[in-house]
Amino acid sequence: MGEYWNIKPELEDSVKQHFSAPPEAEVELEFEVPEKDFNTAGRGSSEVKDLLKRLGVDSETLRRIAVASYEAEINLAAHSKGGVMSCMIYDDLIHLRFLDKGPGIEDITQAMIPGYSTADELVREFGFGAGLGLPNIQKNSDALHIQSAKGSSTLLELLIFFSAP
Amino acid sequence: MSKQKAHYFHAIQILGDNCTGCTSCVRVCPTEAIRVRNRKAIIDPTRCIDCGNCVTVCHFHAIIPRSDSMKILEDYKYKVAILPAAYFGQFTEDVSYEVAKAAVLKIGFDEVAEEAVITEFMVKVIRQYIRNNRDKRPILSSNCPAVVRLIQVKYPSLLPSVFHQEAPMSILTRYLREIIEEEKGIKDEDLGIFLIAPCVAHVTAVHQPEGAHTHLQDGAFSVSMIYGKAREHIKELQNNPPKIDTYPKGLTWALSGVQAELVDCEDIRTLSVNGIENVMEILSRVEDHYLDQYDYIVLRSCTNGCVGGCLNVENPFVAMSRLKKMIKEGKPNEINLEGIDKLYNSGEFDVVPLAPRPIMELDKDIKSAIKKMKRINEFLTMLPGLNCGACGSPSCYALAEDIVQDRASLDDCVVLLKRHSKEEEDNY
Ligand SMILES: Nc1ncnc2c1ncn2[C@@H]1O[C@H](COP(=O)(O)OP(=O)(O)OP(=O)(O)O)[C@@H](O)[C@H]1O
Ligand SMILES: [Mg+2]
Repeated sequence: MGEYWNIKPELEDSVKQHFSAPPEAEVELEFEVPEKDFNTAGRGSSEVKDLLKRLGVDSETLRRIAVASYEAEINLAAHSKGGVMSCMIYDDLIHLRFLDKGPGIEDITQAMIPGYSTADELVREFGFGAGLGLPNIQKNSDALHIQSAKGSSTLLELLIFFSAP
Repeated sequence: MSKQKAHYFHAIQILGDNCTGCTSCVRVCPTEAIRVRNRKAIIDPTRCIDCGNCVTVCHFHAIIPRSDSMKILEDYKYKVAILPAAYFGQFTEDVSYEVAKAAVLKIGFDEVAEEAVITEFMVKVIRQYIRNNRDKRPILSSNCPAVVRLIQVKYPSLLPSVFHQEAPMSILTRYLREIIEEEKGIKDEDLGIFLIAPCVAHVTAVHQPEGAHTHLQDGAFSVSMIYGKAREHIKELQNNPPKIDTYPKGLTWALSGVQAELVDCEDIRTLSVNGIENVMEILSRVEDHYLDQYDYIVLRSCTNGCVGGCLNVENPFVAMSRLKKMIKEGKPNEINLEGIDKLYNSGEFDVVPLAPRPIMELDKDIKSAIKKMKRINEFLTMLPGLNCGACGSPSCYALAEDIVQDRASLDDCVVLLKRHSKEEEDNY
């Protein structure tokens, strides 16, 4: 089982605290992400963005969340057999979780390399497959955690704080 | 100028007597500005962007466009009509460009000017602006007033990217004021300049311009009204072909795709979008920086651009085809806009930065907003989720939000009411 963590150093304490004892979320949303359905994929992220606008989250944070969640959602549609996107909102941060039904990522470190992609013909036809999704998710998140293995499901979760330091 | 005293914010009016409370308008409003309460539609003026969707969809003549009465012409000695390119797409093909234009001189105007005359100048200014503001790319077009208002209410973070210069109509008005006063010796207060508007958003923009330093036009009449009056003079003009300047190459302005093509060049990549739903989707992607490869995005609220405005008479596709034909067949004309560069360089076409008018936020403070969101979700679980709109709010979510914001109650839900009354029946 491969595991990957990337946490902004200055936020290490708050991130660890969040994951060790996850508090109850104030608002929770869940979206099905079906396989290879690029019309539906992206809906979750855009609804989350609308919701965060209602909460008055500032535009730069909003953009980071929108990009990270969109890329992760598209990855579910493009590379997995589909899955679920969950969104947990707290006073000070958003926690996004993407859990799919496999086939898993064999080497996560390799998948994180900009330009690395196994996207098939269909996925490329839709304009994806530059191999920039995961690096972009990492760049825009305050904490990123990926857990996967060949033949099993992939879990990707990320945290973004509302008032980023 | 500006004798117009009547102050209204929106060029859309609800005739309560005609409204049946059918909720069609509620469902087509892109900013969820309309509610039906007590079986009558009401529009929230802070949310309305004057797109005209509700006007088009209302079959009961209950939501009607507002424009000025031709009576106001009487207040001025010298009256100028500014024709949008869309106007020329309204006539059948046997009516020439010249005839359609000259007809406007027969219905009470002393001079007729065309938006098309400054197309070339606008292209130059837009390109210059894009090159000077590379850091804000993509630059978003600002000549559709509904789009500008949409950005103010729903995408305020994009305001710095909006093309910050007067709209073409206003630039032309400003220029005409200068020229007519100088050449014809007509005093400003005697000069009335009127916009012939293809849509309600342009009527609103005349009466309440966003970002403008001064009110420029003295009123706005709808294309359909002017078309109706002009038509009476077509026969007579066809028998006596008029000599009048035309600018076929400038007619592109009414067509969103063609306008983008004009600005597009070696170092400027453009994208053209029309129809309010498409515009919203694109703005959302611009917000997330997914469209940074473009330098300029032309955004028009109506189908195909201004030819799709709800104050026209002809179908937008037919009107577009006619205009394209005129553009193709027309001979280029010498355009002399002496002095316009001087006005431009002296900053006469600058606008003040556009202010956001956010409508989305539930509360100023994020913690209170989250509390409200929690309550919204609680109500949402009680509601049937059919989004039928029968309550008068556009969706179950919107009703839940209205309840939390004290603008509605759970009893407004017709489906719940029916379920409850059924349960009561069953209990007896
Ligand atoms: N949920 C997933 N399940 C299985 N493999 C995945 C998943 N997400 C990513 N991958 C693998 O990681 C690779 C890199 O992903 P990344 O998002 O960086 O690029 P991409 O999706 O191929 O292209 P782009 O995101 O630029 O459109 C993918 O090509 C795929 O092999
Ligand atoms: Mg990807």
